[in-house]
Amino acid sequence: MLKHLFKLIWNKKKQHFLLMVEILFSFLIMFAVFTLAVYNYKNYQRPMGFDHENVWALSYYDKDRSGADKDSLALFYEMVKRTISHAPEVAAVSFVSNNSPFTMSMNNSVITRNNKTAQVDHFSADDDYVGVLKPVLLKGRWYGRADDGAALEPIVVNRSFETMFFPGEDPVGKTIKVGDHDARIVGVVQDMKDKGDYKPLGPGLYQRTTRSSYSWLSRMLIRIKPGAGANFEGRLYKQVAGILQDATVEIEHLDEKRVVKNNITLIPLIVFGVIAGFLILNVSLGLFGVLWYTISKRKAEIGLRRAVGATGAGISRQVVSETLVLATISLVVGLFFAVQFPLLNVFFMEESVYYTAILLALLFIYALVVVCAFYPGRQAAGIYPAVALHED
Amino acid sequence: MIRLQNIEKVYRTDTVETLALNSISLNVAKGEFLSIMGPSGCGKSTLLNIMGLLDAPTRGEVRIADSTPGYLSDKQLAHFRNKKIGFIFQSYHLINDLQVLDNVELPLLYRKSTARERKALATAALGKVGLSNRIKHFPSQLSGGQKQRVAIARAIVGQPEIILADEPTGNLDSAMGNEVMDILLHLNRQEGTTIVMVTHDEQIARKTHRLVRLFDGAQVQ
Repeated sequence: MLKHLFKLIWNKKKQHFLLMVEILFSFLIMFAVFTLAVYNYKNYQRPMGFDHENVWALSYYDKDRSGADKDSLALFYEMVKRTISHAPEVAAVSFVSNNSPFTMSMNNSVITRNNKTAQVDHFSADDDYVGVLKPVLLKGRWYGRADDGAALEPIVVNRSFETMFFPGEDPVGKTIKVGDHDARIVGVVQDMKDKGDYKPLGPGLYQRTTRSSYSWLSRMLIRIKPGAGANFEGRLYKQVAGILQDATVEIEHLDEKRVVKNNITLIPLIVFGVIAGFLILNVSLGLFGVLWYTISKRKAEIGLRRAVGATGAGISRQVVSETLVLATISLVVGLFFAVQFPLLNVFFMEESVYYTAILLALLFIYALVVVCAFYPGRQAAGIYPAVALHED
Repeated sequence: MIRLQNIEKVYRTDTVETLALNSISLNVAKGEFLSIMGPSGCGKSTLLNIMGLLDAPTRGEVRIADSTPGYLSDKQLAHFRNKKIGFIFQSYHLINDLQVLDNVELPLLYRKSTARERKALATAALGKVGLSNRIKHFPSQLSGGQKQRVAIARAIVGQPEIILADEPTGNLDSAMGNEVMDILLHLNRQEGTTIVMVTHDEQIARKTHRLVRLFDGAQVQ
């Protein structure tokens, strides 16, 4: 019967051409939607890698400090940090570079090792970073006082960095060229989703701030104790603004920044999904209408099939099966285009994202055509053979 | 082979009730070739549809090949039609998007058979109607007579005991009509197939064993 249906559809390919094109485009649209959805979902499923709850980002933008004496600056900003830390509501404070979690700032460079080259994110943070964001330490340790006076700059790298540059090796204790100098890896942390829940993970390294860093640092991350609310935020603001005179001070909550950052990914996805939804609705209505019309044009054939042995349910199944065959022809063409994405590594996404999206798009289109063909199929099953054969 | 007793068929709408068949009793013996004649609207096709289990009588009993189909489910009825009855229609009812061979194979698709068996049976059936050289043609490439021969091949491919033909020569000129009639007569004589044929053509009807005339839904001869 399947061969018969293929033959029937193939012989009617000119009549079905537009319908097949419609199904093909629906598949490609759904492939795009599912690719984005799967890609973002996979990223979302990955562990956060740090604890952003109860962490505030305090930014201060003051006068140009580049010409100031670095020891004086260090003394001053360490005093600011101590003052904040002494508040009973504060658990830990860390100076960080501007590309702290959920900001738009980026700082990266190309790092090469053993013929492998990659763009690597650079984060600067002081020794207390580990107490503020609580990154998950996988190997070694976070840098600290033990590294004072070390010949090489201590750095901590993330898991992606380790996988990229040290496959099958333990990177702890190894040196790697960072910029124009060598640095020694002292620890490995889990990848941190600092760019939002839906962003991919990539290689990153954490550099220890030095006394000269205060000339350009302008952000602190503050872990507050649970229960500290707006009152403390107001007091903290006044206190810091009082110390950092002429500076613009801003306090933001990381969990709120995370929502904002996530929305930047989610909103276009939702808009695209809604547009795709309308397109699919149009396609469904078109498919439904065409099938309904086709049934009315094929009454005599349906009557004949009933006369020669088809049951009502068999006719209904045939209508649905024919639509599935029609969809299959379109989907074979669609698959040809879709598999080019993983094969040619378009957009540098994992292959599994594309293959999962292909599978979901196939299932979706098949489900759609079954739903659209179901009612016309039932209508066809209800055609009275004696009447249908007499009408033609 | 076919036994109808006091068959009555009434078509009802909200306002009108039409008596299409009125107390028809008819026996068709195995191997008989029966023709039914009568003016348009007298109930010939309705009677044929009832014999073919495509329609149910309002009252009366139908027995076909020792079965009482009134008690059969939709699935059993479909199976019964497939196995026991072959249909031939005035307007052929061929599927234009299928080649001749595929059209003839159609009844075999609804029973357990392999593609090879179907092809062999359909080719043999087309051989019987003299269309072995047309199996790859589409219906649109055939003459009216050839189309009706394809329809006959489709009706006999499943080797049914009964063939019901609704004006099989109605759309054909006399030469082609005779050709088709010869095939039906041959099937009846050589293979013992029971045939019930509705026709308007007195000459054609005279070639059959028995003629039944209907008028206003009642049997008059």
